[in-house]
Amino acid sequence: MEKDHLWMSTWKYLASKSDFWISTLLSHVMIVVWASLIVIVLGVVLGILITRIKPIRGVVLGVAGLFYTIPILALMGLFIPLMGIGLKPALIALSMKGILPVIRNTYAGINQVSPKFKEAAIGMGANRAQLLIRTELPLAFPVIFAGIRTAVVMNFSMATYAVFIGAGAMGTIILVGMRTFNDGMLLAGTLIVAIATILLDRILGWIEKRIQKRFAL
Amino acid sequence: MENTVIDVEFQNVSKYYGKEKVVDEVNFRINRGEIFVLIGPSGCGKTTTLKMINQLVPHSSGQIFVRGKNVTELDPVELRRSIGYVIQHIGLLPHLTIRDNVNFVLQLQRVPQKKQRERANELIKMIGLPDSYLDRYPHEISGGEQQRVGVARALAADPEILLMDEPFGAVDPLTREQLQNELLRLQKTIKKTMVFVTHDMQEAFKVGNRIGIMRRGQLVTMGTAMDIVNAKDDFVRAFIGREAVFSALDTIPVFQAIIRDCPVIHEGDAIDPADPRFKDWENVFVINQNGHCLGYVSLTDFKAHEKVTTEKLREITSPCLPSDSLKKAIGEMLWGKRAWLPVVTKEGNFEGIVSFQSCVSILALDD
Repeated sequence: MEKDHLWMSTWKYLASKSDFWISTLLSHVMIVVWASLIVIVLGVVLGILITRIKPIRGVVLGVAGLFYTIPILALMGLFIPLMGIGLKPALIALSMKGILPVIRNTYAGINQVSPKFKEAAIGMGANRAQLLIRTELPLAFPVIFAGIRTAVVMNFSMATYAVFIGAGAMGTIILVGMRTFNDGMLLAGTLIVAIATILLDRILGWIEKRIQKRFAL
Repeated sequence: MENTVIDVEFQNVSKYYGKEKVVDEVNFRINRGEIFVLIGPSGCGKTTTLKMINQLVPHSSGQIFVRGKNVTELDPVELRRSIGYVIQHIGLLPHLTIRDNVNFVLQLQRVPQKKQRERANELIKMIGLPDSYLDRYPHEISGGEQQRVGVARALAADPEILLMDEPFGAVDPLTREQLQNELLRLQKTIKKTMVFVTHDMQEAFKVGNRIGIMRRGQLVTMGTAMDIVNAKDDFVRAFIGREAVFSALDTIPVFQAIIRDCPVIHEGDAIDPADPRFKDWENVFVINQNGHCLGYVSLTDFKAHEKVTTEKLREITSPCLPSDSLKKAIGEMLWGKRAWLPVVTKEGNFEGIVSFQSCVSILALDD
């Protein structure tokens, strides 16, 4: 009886508050989109740089690894006294958490490009930029994309914590549900985040497979 | 050779990796339009030598001239764009279509799209593949076809010089032979200067106008197939092996072994077996006014001053062309159990004969 009641109330919440949770989900998605863009651009650039400039490799990977290890709540806790609350610190915290897989995969992806292809490109007269853009990055793309997938999916689930730094998103529904003992709301929020994360991972995984097929790997 | 232009020249070129000398004081000149083959055991420095030409590997000492210019004074990127490069293990870029692979060099040089499209169509025709292949990816075509595309890609910018690093190494022997034939056929029209690295002696004899044999970084010997088989150096003889003689025979045309002083009489002439001209000969060849060979007669069939009649005329069988290889001629003799073959041009003119003796003496030349 208790269980039926929980599912019923979850369903009721989803049906009656659809406007609210859909707009909350959209704001969640927007946070993830922005954080992912920062992570991809910065991560790929840093990943390329450390294949070219050896001395900074250890530092960059070390720092990104450190960000990756620190719990996101601790990161946010660090930002509140420094920059207050809001979207900005949330984006920064998410970017710091998600950048390691992109840097690491960009670096690994470029390094695993067979020397024969690099030599082919150089031998035909590619300059440094052309070698990178026309040969190394495209050939590393499947590996880079795998890193992006990891980062984006992680950002999506991590963005649930954004509520603790006042950036709202899906964490709001879960937190409010928890505080008001509204189990239906709590479960609805949890389900939406879980299903959306799994869906996102599946979609990106499908794209990843297509890319690998296209590159004949 | 008169009026030859030197396209590539090495003057005392060496390459060190640390203290190890991988190329040791190499000197050579490659003429415009010739195929120069570099061959040697693995690790002999042949590929390094090739890569120094387009400065993929910078040389440590000595001087390298490409089309008369010292390579160290040229921009390496521009130098490489001016030289075609066929890469070992094909090296087609897997993420690009055949079209984009063929056009790679043109794209690097930002040649207009329209020109690129025309050139791709031209090249795919040149290597004998259908247009539809342009939109495929490298993994969708066979190894032999990929090799052809590799050659087409190197030719895209119409370079004067082509570097080929074991270009046909990655395909089965049958396809390799086919690709060699196609290359030679192509060379007749494009007449490029090619530097060709291989470890296959037969391939070297087949495609090379001249062959350079390398060992431990040194250019041990250099010359035509005939020079190579006649080399006295023990290493060279051991390296090329007995089989090489047959390969060399395949590259030497019959016209070098023609015996041109064999006796000839005209149709309708009287014949005298005691004629001093016929001394040492058993047969006399009969030709008409146009120089066409009608057949031959055996001197034993004739009395003095007897007229040559058609009844006594014997037909010449399996004549060979002056451009046929000695290998083909010898094979024909062995097959037909004959000691000699008549040599007749395409137009039917009688040139002389080749015999076992004349073929063998070519290889036994002492200087």
